[in-house]
Amino acid sequence: MIELFHQVVNEVSNTFFDPTKRIFIGYLLSALLVALLWMSINQSRTFINSLSLIFSRKVWFSSSAKTDYALLVTNRLIMLLIAPLLLGQLVVATFLFEWFHHFSAPQPFEDWPSGLVMSLFTLTLFFMDDASRYWVHRLMHQSTVLWQFHQVHHSATNLTPLTIFRTHPVEGVLFSLRSAFVQGFCIGSFIFLFGSSVDLLTVFGVNVLLFMFNTLGANLRHSPISLPYPKAVERWLISPAQHQLHHSTNPQHFNKNYGVFLAVWDRWGGTLHYSVKTALDYGIEQHGEKIDQPLWQVYAYPFKVNYHKATSFLKQARKRVKFSL
Amino acid sequence: MKKYQLAIAIGLAIFATNAAQADGHSAYADFPITVKNYTGSKTNSVSYGGQVARHLLHTSLKKMSGSGNGAPNEKLNAKLTSYFAGKAEGRVIVSPASKDGFPLKQVKIDELSKGKNLSGKAYKGSVPGWPGNMTGSEVLAFMLDKASSTTKGYDPVLAYDYGQLFSKTAMGAVFYNQAVDNYLDELLAANKKPNDKPYSEGAAYTGKEHVWDEAFGYFGAPAHALSLDAKTLYSIAKGDPKVMKAADANGDGKIDLKTEMTFGHAYYAADADKSGKTQYMNDIVKAFIDGRHLLADAKGQKLSGAQRGALIEHAKTIKLNWEKVIAEAAFKYAGSVYKDLKKLQKTEDGVEVRKQFRNYAKHWGELKGFALALQMGGKDLGGTAVQLNRLIGFSPVSFTGDQVTGVTADGSYIVEKTVDMGEYMIQMAKAQNVLKGAFGLKVLKNEITDDMAVLSAKLGEKKSAEND
Repeated sequence: MIELFHQVVNEVSNTFFDPTKRIFIGYLLSALLVALLWMSINQSRTFINSLSLIFSRKVWFSSSAKTDYALLVTNRLIMLLIAPLLLGQLVVATFLFEWFHHFSAPQPFEDWPSGLVMSLFTLTLFFMDDASRYWVHRLMHQSTVLWQFHQVHHSATNLTPLTIFRTHPVEGVLFSLRSAFVQGFCIGSFIFLFGSSVDLLTVFGVNVLLFMFNTLGANLRHSPISLPYPKAVERWLISPAQHQLHHSTNPQHFNKNYGVFLAVWDRWGGTLHYSVKTALDYGIEQHGEKIDQPLWQVYAYPFKVNYHKATSFLKQARKRVKFSL
Repeated sequence: MKKYQLAIAIGLAIFATNAAQADGHSAYADFPITVKNYTGSKTNSVSYGGQVARHLLHTSLKKMSGSGNGAPNEKLNAKLTSYFAGKAEGRVIVSPASKDGFPLKQVKIDELSKGKNLSGKAYKGSVPGWPGNMTGSEVLAFMLDKASSTTKGYDPVLAYDYGQLFSKTAMGAVFYNQAVDNYLDELLAANKKPNDKPYSEGAAYTGKEHVWDEAFGYFGAPAHALSLDAKTLYSIAKGDPKVMKAADANGDGKIDLKTEMTFGHAYYAADADKSGKTQYMNDIVKAFIDGRHLLADAKGQKLSGAQRGALIEHAKTIKLNWEKVIAEAAFKYAGSVYKDLKKLQKTEDGVEVRKQFRNYAKHWGELKGFALALQMGGKDLGGTAVQLNRLIGFSPVSFTGDQVTGVTADGSYIVEKTVDMGEYMIQMAKAQNVLKGAFGLKVLKNEITDDMAVLSAKLGEKKSAEND
């Protein structure tokens, strides 16, 4: 038990020092820099004024933000316990790698230049990862059952970079499976086709494209700072302001901007919405009031709602069967 | 003044350490005679010449099995049989042979021990991994018989390399089996070969001392193995003149095959240890030496329960590491077979195809031999053995998907369609998985899925609850 406690503490603290994580201290600082520059140039705010807005007590000490902080720790514990049961990418990769032997001799392109293979792998992984995130996110919104879990994330009334941890573990499992399939597919197929020259182009051990995305202010997606891109750019890349619009309580903004990095998936899927200049309100309203759940309800509520929906569906189905008889 | 005292103390400590090593305690040699009332002329009790003789019968048979002319060859068959099952005097050591810069002391088997053969010491149980429901001894005889009818021990149709097949299977059926299933197992029982009696009348060693020596002899390490690194031990087996000085422990300018050569399993332990990931040789030889010390310290008395218990613990260490050595070798060759198949599927040039097919046969022979060897240590491997035998099969898979599935009563092979080369490659990957899981391997040379594991580790597992 003590070992588990140590593991959770270690993992939580490592999250801030691991460049593969969104809230790596370096990315947080770069996001702060981007925000300060943006507020200084476009809003003519003073340095102090900008800082007070970014680090507003109303945001960072809000009930919503406190739930995010608690979830960072409790979710880490839960995921530590269930992680060994989850499918890993190596299993998927090995399965595919072996299966491909039925169709061709392995490594037909192993003599391709390694630089080309690495670039191809890095790009393919990035595009497949981004596309799959879009579709899983869209599914989380469109499925009545899955939405109950994803609404945990949307119930945040204030956005901070730590809002990414405001995630129900069921959603965490789905994200983990998505990652296992995408990475497993890329690893298995590329190693089969190109052999040992396959590698990832990295900066500090992180996919170079992901590193760029994170360094250029990805953390502003969940922050009090609304940073839009020019419309021509928002056609291709999702700006922080576009993602904040995705969290908006305005029904006109519902089910828009599912994308993470590229906007093309939203454009092709008919869900793209450009950023707006009006102030946005975040959270989920129920009976005219924002949902503000205590921690235990964050975990239990989605199951409770789905259970009630399932039982009521079964009751109605039984009634229909009786009536028809 | 204190500095001088410190320097003297350090000097004395170094001298004491060197002296302890120089008295033979870091080598498997020069243990005293403890047999009560010994009247002979010997001055030390270590003796494993018979085992080294068998190593030389093995290496010679491997060499000779590759000298066939492509037709049934009675003369060769008779010669192979004389080394395998005969006891005649005058048999020459065919391999290893002396060479410039690496001269050998002995030229005849009898110089090590007289009247030895392999068939009498080969595994007597059934070998399910080879067709025909034969015993270990029968399998070896069958392989030698087939080898004598081939050209240089190679069957290009079925892709059998009989030299490799025989060699690795014999390493299991004779050396591994005798050591771990007999000397380090049954003969460590309290009522077998007791330590308070000579092994045989007039012998310079006690029952248990000789049992232990014989097991060490079967492993095949030089007596001074602990003072050599893995690369040197490996090169000694290859007869590399560069390691002559290191190998020649007594400095007489010749390699004494009895005590200064690396044979059989010790060679593969050194091969694995070269990776720097394991120390199989050290663990095995140290356990042998520690066990021999224990016996010397018993001073010819019957072993107490605690002493015998400690000896059995040393035996366990040896058996565990020895098994891993064999499994590491099988793992390596499963990877080699996979690579050969990959090349074969890509190559179109006829000469190159023949060359690759020859490599395929060689590596498969090594894989199969080691997989069989693993099953002859007297330990029931259960499902692991079944999986290995099914995945590897009775022969390599041909271009047309044909494979040996059995033998007829007259010893002819039955060949049937089984799987294609692509499927067989998958089976090699699975065989590696079985070996890795069952034996807890560390070296994992030629791992087929290694590139994927490295890349996967680099990408990292996403097992945290985080939104985008």
